[in-house]
Amino acid sequence: MPTESKAAPASLAARPQWFEGFVGQFLALLGSLAIAVILGSILIVAYGESPLEVYSSILEASLGTVDGIGYVLAIATPLIFSALAVAVCFKGGMFNIGVEGQYLVAMVTAAWAALELGFLPGPLLVTAVLAAAMLGGMVWAAIPAILKVKTGAHEVVTTIMLNGIAVSLLAWAINFPLRIGERPGGQNVDLRTDQFPDGALIGDIGEFFGVTPGAHLSWLLFLAIAAAVLVWFLIRRMRLGYEARAVGSSPGSAKAGGISIGATQLKLFLISGALAGLVGMQQILADKGHLPQNYIVALGFTGIAVAFLGQNNPIGIVFAAILWGILSRGEVALQIQSEVPREFIIILQGILILSVVITYQIAKRRLAARQLQRAGEAGALEDSAAPEESSEPREPAHEGTEAFQPTNERDG
Amino acid sequence: MSEGDGAGGKGSPPLVELEKITKRFPGVLANDEVSLELRAGEVHALIGENGAGKSTLMRVLYGIYPADGGTIRVRGKEAKIGSPRDAIGLGIGMVHQHFALVDPFTVTENVILGEEGGPVLDIEEASKKVAQLAEQYGFRVNPLAVVEELSVGEEQRVEILKALYRGVEILVLDEPTAVLTPAETKDLFGNLRKLREAGRTIVFISHKLDEVLEIADRITVLRRGSVVGETRPAETSKAKLAEMMVGRPVLFRLKKPHVQVGEPVLRVEDLAGEGKLNGITLEVRAGEILGVAGVEGNGQRELAEALIGLRKLDAGSIGLEGTGIVGRSVGEIRNLGVGYIPEDRHGQGLVLNMTLWENAVLGRQDDSEFSTRLGVLLIRKIKELTARLVGLFDVRTRSVDVNASTLSGGNQQKLILARELETDPKLLIAAQPTRGLDVGAIEFVWTQILEQKAAGRGILLISAELDEIYALSDRIVTLYEGRITGEFSPDAAPEQVGLGMLGGAREEVA
Repeated sequence: MPTESKAAPASLAARPQWFEGFVGQFLALLGSLAIAVILGSILIVAYGESPLEVYSSILEASLGTVDGIGYVLAIATPLIFSALAVAVCFKGGMFNIGVEGQYLVAMVTAAWAALELGFLPGPLLVTAVLAAAMLGGMVWAAIPAILKVKTGAHEVVTTIMLNGIAVSLLAWAINFPLRIGERPGGQNVDLRTDQFPDGALIGDIGEFFGVTPGAHLSWLLFLAIAAAVLVWFLIRRMRLGYEARAVGSSPGSAKAGGISIGATQLKLFLISGALAGLVGMQQILADKGHLPQNYIVALGFTGIAVAFLGQNNPIGIVFAAILWGILSRGEVALQIQSEVPREFIIILQGILILSVVITYQIAKRRLAARQLQRAGEAGALEDSAAPEESSEPREPAHEGTEAFQPTNERDG
Repeated sequence: MSEGDGAGGKGSPPLVELEKITKRFPGVLANDEVSLELRAGEVHALIGENGAGKSTLMRVLYGIYPADGGTIRVRGKEAKIGSPRDAIGLGIGMVHQHFALVDPFTVTENVILGEEGGPVLDIEEASKKVAQLAEQYGFRVNPLAVVEELSVGEEQRVEILKALYRGVEILVLDEPTAVLTPAETKDLFGNLRKLREAGRTIVFISHKLDEVLEIADRITVLRRGSVVGETRPAETSKAKLAEMMVGRPVLFRLKKPHVQVGEPVLRVEDLAGEGKLNGITLEVRAGEILGVAGVEGNGQRELAEALIGLRKLDAGSIGLEGTGIVGRSVGEIRNLGVGYIPEDRHGQGLVLNMTLWENAVLGRQDDSEFSTRLGVLLIRKIKELTARLVGLFDVRTRSVDVNASTLSGGNQQKLILARELETDPKLLIAAQPTRGLDVGAIEFVWTQILEQKAAGRGILLISAELDEIYALSDRIVTLYEGRITGEFSPDAAPEQVGLGMLGGAREEVA
């Protein structure tokens, strides 16, 4: 931004706000991690174990070996997609609780594509499968979006309902149309789909880094990171993201500015659905190679937690997903090496989420205070900014970083 | 200053002494060693621009903010006021601009809330007490009325009664007239005089100078957190007060430029909708400012929103230079050349947690100037435009990268003006354009609106401030219950326009 030649009274060369926000968020994340570690220590001591040993075994299992890192990244991959899906809707002031259902439906459509389009050559097939997954997620996301825009039905309610339907839909799919064929010998056949053709599967990249194939580290990781960058670009650099943020933070102002709230929200929901569609792909295309009956559930819900941890910032989400992966991987170590029950990890994740609320609030206030201070230095306060009115309870989301709650509607 | 007080003090010791009160907010010194004395039985006006620190000072006194320095003495004794409860215990009450009433409750229930006096409510007894209190000071309010059915003026009376019910001797009113009609203001002043006669002390926070001169016994002027002077109505004038407040002379009547009035830009016929608009017909010509006067809540907001396309209509037509715009989207109407300064600056004007540059193109992000066909924002161009607008409209800010929330109210309004005028609209809808702004900012906004007129644009000015209507309009219409009840020239007596605002002028004029 150094190109401003004319002596404009307002300099263009200030440190951009999002940068400060990002640094603030990072420090906040570290702070909440510290809180979680300390509170977790108390718990570990209560179990009669040494916190140092337990934490080091978690770290050893997750980051101590190349394999461990591979596992962590493989766990993080679907979570990145899922959290991005949540974040995209969130920017527009909506809460997509339906990522869960959207990825289940997407697994079905992807499985169908993988089994039915087997005639396609390799790269084309996998592309078609991914496209089918995204389409499936979009269709399932379109339902609540259209209901919201047309009838005002709240997306939280509709997406929760659709999650239930998606579970049944998947069960039906692997029971009937996509069910595995009878094996010769007439054994009891699992409730699952046939194995997908090789061309539909996503290549393992573990071998390039010396990661065990057991980790199922796939190039979906790169796709996830690329998706994060794209979402960042969408939110920060594109018209739709701009409109989304305006709609999310101040629907009245957006509307008065001529932005169509319904159209914006519909688009966001479709993008969210497409991202959600990719959540299950790690599992069926990189890991199993078929759609099993005991598929991993709750990736959509975990995505909400990860999005929160990353404060709906696409880059933050990547880090948050990796952090989540580290903890999840640590579960394995706990089981093997200590008396502390594996649920400890869930507690730790819970504490992390709770403490993040606190540290982000602190970071946000400090950031806001700094902004005001600067504004004050610029002599803009002959008529004060916030303070004169600030005894009125104010929406906290007006400052630098993004708040978790949408400003226009509070969802339970 | 204290010497002067001693001389004119009639021997009565000050009831409340604020001494060297300092209050800091991040980046702002809201009160800088402010000293103030309140005497029993006076109406003490505290005036100053927005952000001068008057509300802050009183909030310190009322225990909402802890002071960073200084002492408060009440009746000669040093007081530690840590909460409003402490303040009330000392006989200090405050009525805020935004009322804190429970809408479905009756007046009595609201008044006794928190002072119920026991586990079993004796509403009848309480009602009697409230009625008695109301009568004593001439408050016209029914103790059994439900608050949500009251007018704003009545709600304010309930708030004052709440304070009196708690035995408050010192009553702080924060901008009490900001929400009142002229008639309600008159009533309020009647009440205040009775309170004064009864020996109560009133702090009257305001920036409306006429009112201050009318009601106050003493006037303290704050500017940028410091006391710049103390005076009495007899010793000063509106112009002098304004100069003390702003720090430079202020023009109250701007010269209206003479403009050749052109063709009608806006033609509204029989507009009706939502029960709030009941057949509005009006016309705005190029180079003309049409002032729509009226007590708030008579359809002003609905009218403005209908014109910009935010509301559905049941009937009527809106023509913009002959093109019908009913049923068109906001975006289309804006593109046809309508600028909109909304009455709700935060709810409809700006997105507070977005940056200045993002706000500066809100509504124009589709322009090929600001985004590519694929939808990528041309941020550098937007920032250049913003920097230019910020310079042109004197928006005080450190950078265009900060959030709009960091701007003061006046600067926020300047940013909105800059954005809406940049597109060179044929019609400008200005709804309550100076609400909550200080004298300096009001002057700026008025000047801009008059310049738009000089440039041949049609302007529909909707305002609850009769002063503003008179200062700017070429023609005045009054709006009452969603109908136009009269048309006046700016030479008409304010009383006549006032009648129109109450619905009575139709017969007299037409």
